Amino acid sequence: MLTIDDLAKYPFLRRASSFVESYGLTFQDLASEEYSYVVQRAVERVRCGIEGRWAELNVVDPETEILAYPLALAFVYGLKSAWVVRRFANSEQKRCFELLKNEEKEKIAEVGKDGFDWDLEGTELTVSGVMFDFSLPVEKYLEVAPSFHSPDWKLVNRHVTGGRVYLKQVEVARLLSEALKLKILKKAEEEDIKKFQMPEKLLLKLEGLEKLIKETKIYDEDAMVEVVEEAKPPCIVALLKDLAAGKSLSHMARFTVTTFLINTGESVEDVLKHFSNVADFDEGKARYQVEHIAGLIGSKTKYMPPKCDVLRSFGLCVGGDAYCKKVRHPLQYYKMRAREIKRKKGWEKGA
Amino acid sequence: MHREVARAFKEYYQTLDVGELDVKGLQEREIALIPLGHETMIRHIAFPDTVALKEYLMENVPAHLYYSSAYYREPQAPDMNKKGWKGADLIFDVDADHIPTLCKVDHDTWTCLDCAAKGAGFPPESCPKCGMKRIETTTWVCDKCLEVAKEEVFKLIDEYLIPDFGVSLKEVEVCFSGHRGYHLHVQTEDVKTLTTDGRREIADYVRGVGLDPKHQGFRVMKDGSIIGPDLRDGGWRGRFAKSVYTYLSRCTLEDLKAVVGSDEVANTIMRNRERLLRGIMANPPSWMGLRGVELGRTIRIAKAAIRDLLCNIDERVTIDIKRLIRYPNTLHGKSGLKAAKVSYSDLESFDPLKDAVVFKSGSIKVYVKEAPRVRIGDYEVGPMRDVQLEVPEGLGIYLLCKGAAELRE
Ligand code: SF4
Ligand SMILES: [Zn+2]
Ligand SMILES: [Zn+2]
Repeated sequence: MLTIDDLAKYPFLRRASSFVESYGLTFQDLASEEYSYVVQRAVERVRCGIEGRWAELNVVDPETEILAYPLALAFVYGLKSAWVVRRFANSEQKRCFELLKNEEKEKIAEVGKDGFDWDLEGTELTVSGVMFDFSLPVEKYLEVAPSFHSPDWKLVNRHVTGGRVYLKQVEVARLLSEALKLKILKKAEEEDIKKFQMPEKLLLKLEGLEKLIKETKIYDEDAMVEVVEEAKPPCIVALLKDLAAGKSLSHMARFTVTTFLINTGESVEDVLKHFSNVADFDEGKARYQVEHIAGLIGSKTKYMPPKCDVLRSFGLCVGGDAYCKKVRHPLQYYKMRAREIKRKKGWEKGA
Repeated sequence: MHREVARAFKEYYQTLDVGELDVKGLQEREIALIPLGHETMIRHIAFPDTVALKEYLMENVPAHLYYSSAYYREPQAPDMNKKGWKGADLIFDVDADHIPTLCKVDHDTWTCLDCAAKGAGFPPESCPKCGMKRIETTTWVCDKCLEVAKEEVFKLIDEYLIPDFGVSLKEVEVCFSGHRGYHLHVQTEDVKTLTTDGRREIADYVRGVGLDPKHQGFRVMKDGSIIGPDLRDGGWRGRFAKSVYTYLSRCTLEDLKAVVGSDEVANTIMRNRERLLRGIMANPPSWMGLRGVELGRTIRIAKAAIRDLLCNIDERVTIDIKRLIRYPNTLHGKSGLKAAKVSYSDLESFDPLKDAVVFKSGSIKVYVKEAPRVRIGDYEVGPMRDVQLEVPEGLGIYLLCKGAAELRE
């Protein structure tokens, strides 16, 4: 059973939305003095998102919490900044994960069902000495897992049988919270959300946040650095060549190039240019993915290209040059060579 | 286009039983075709039902007919973004062309477009003489190729789709591609909304891409002993246990030496073989027989053992959510064979070069420029070059469609 306290913890649940609907509140109502505590809480949640913290887990007043969530979302979308949406989605993901990972099994299953239509089944299956807590239909698993890039989330490295993927509780918490994040991000793409205008009166309540956004954003966007072409490792050079030739790349390959380029200081626009030759290039989708990776630079979850080991196992390492032998990570390769090249150039200039 | 081919194809569509054109959700699919004698594809058509489709085909006889794996709100919209994608079947494409079988030497040739070097068999990545990559191939199929392709289909269904993915037999449709392989269509609601990335994960799963035995039950304990998966487990764990068992019971010392990269380790394993096999079989299993063998070497054995269980599919087809794919039960313009639906229970005995032949009346006189040994139905000819022949209709159409023959009166 989902209690009102649960709805406050997971205000994205369908049950929570019906609770809100039952109030029949309009924006007009919310702008009034009577609901100022709800507005306050909503603003607080948005602020937490922007600052990269998560709103505290202890809920004192569940009713306010539930009412504040949709309003917080409205603020987030109303601010018309993709960056704010991303920050908010990230902090909601982390918060949800923290709450879920210690939750009781039945609760988790209910959150999955009500929030995302996931049919999570509790299990105590042990295979080859590993105990699993849940199973989930493959297609639901695949709604989310491909957005994680580490090899242990690959379906092929999972226990899959009878159409279900077997998972531990903490993994389910990770998947569900990521599903929440994707849901928040995806909604921002919907037409009526794009058109949505927050009533003036409520926007006023966000005063102070605009300034915070500007400050945080500047701090967040890494200072541009000069890209040293010649310092790119063979694996990346090969992938860029494929892209230039219009070949479409695997998910892993795309992730590798994108994270590499972003981490060496290329802008989203520059990165997208590399992809524009590819036959199945979908500008909107590609931009979303690149921004997704780029937008996180400077925050706690910084996306990095995979290690050489991983690239090797995905058949993406074309290795073999002398520098490769000395490194374990393509960025390490880049930094090493870039430093060397810059030194040499400096020396040439100086001479 | 040869007159005989045009006549035969037209007749096929005129006499076709409409029921043969039944496909799931026809109204929601985009239909496309290359009309006989044309090069360009006509796209973005839609039909309310099979009767309308058949009428159209009688007027516009196709050399190739396709339907979209995707279901759309407006399948006829010319702008892909306006079609309104609702979902797509999950498709697996098995093509003998991509599988390097030994028989390719007997029937395939390649020519370098840059230096005119020629060779027989599976084409090289780049020309061995001049290093260029523009290579033209002339490929044929034989019973061996088609048998290998069929094995792949069984592997996919029996090893993966049914046990691991929980798909039931009535949810998979198998079609002969009409030429060199098979298409598998999974048409459940569950798979419909899978994204490209999700589908790639499924393709990688059956191809074993990124597969790491360390995630599938192989571990090393503090005392150096190895723990491995159980034969009774499902998924990749069970598959690993079973195939390591089979591999070790069959492999030669030489095989093993090459795989583990150490004569000494290979010798030890071979000496302990019986005990090791008994251990893997036991409930719960014991991999103690591998004690002292490093995890890395164990993993190499595991990877060698599953090599034959990896599916040889064209993953580009599987990950594409808007693929145009050959319409079941229609003719393939490059062979004249029917892309016949085959039920799982008939698959074993299905002989594409016989059961997919639809033209069976009379004979045709042809002049054959060059062809390897070819069988259609019970009739076999070749290898041949510059010969005039009178052959059964099916074989004649086949040679004409392959572009290896011309019509002679
Ligand atoms: S060793 Fe590392 S840096 Fe070098 S090509 Fe391979 S993956 Fe790239
Ligand atoms: Zn050549
Ligand atoms: Zn062959």
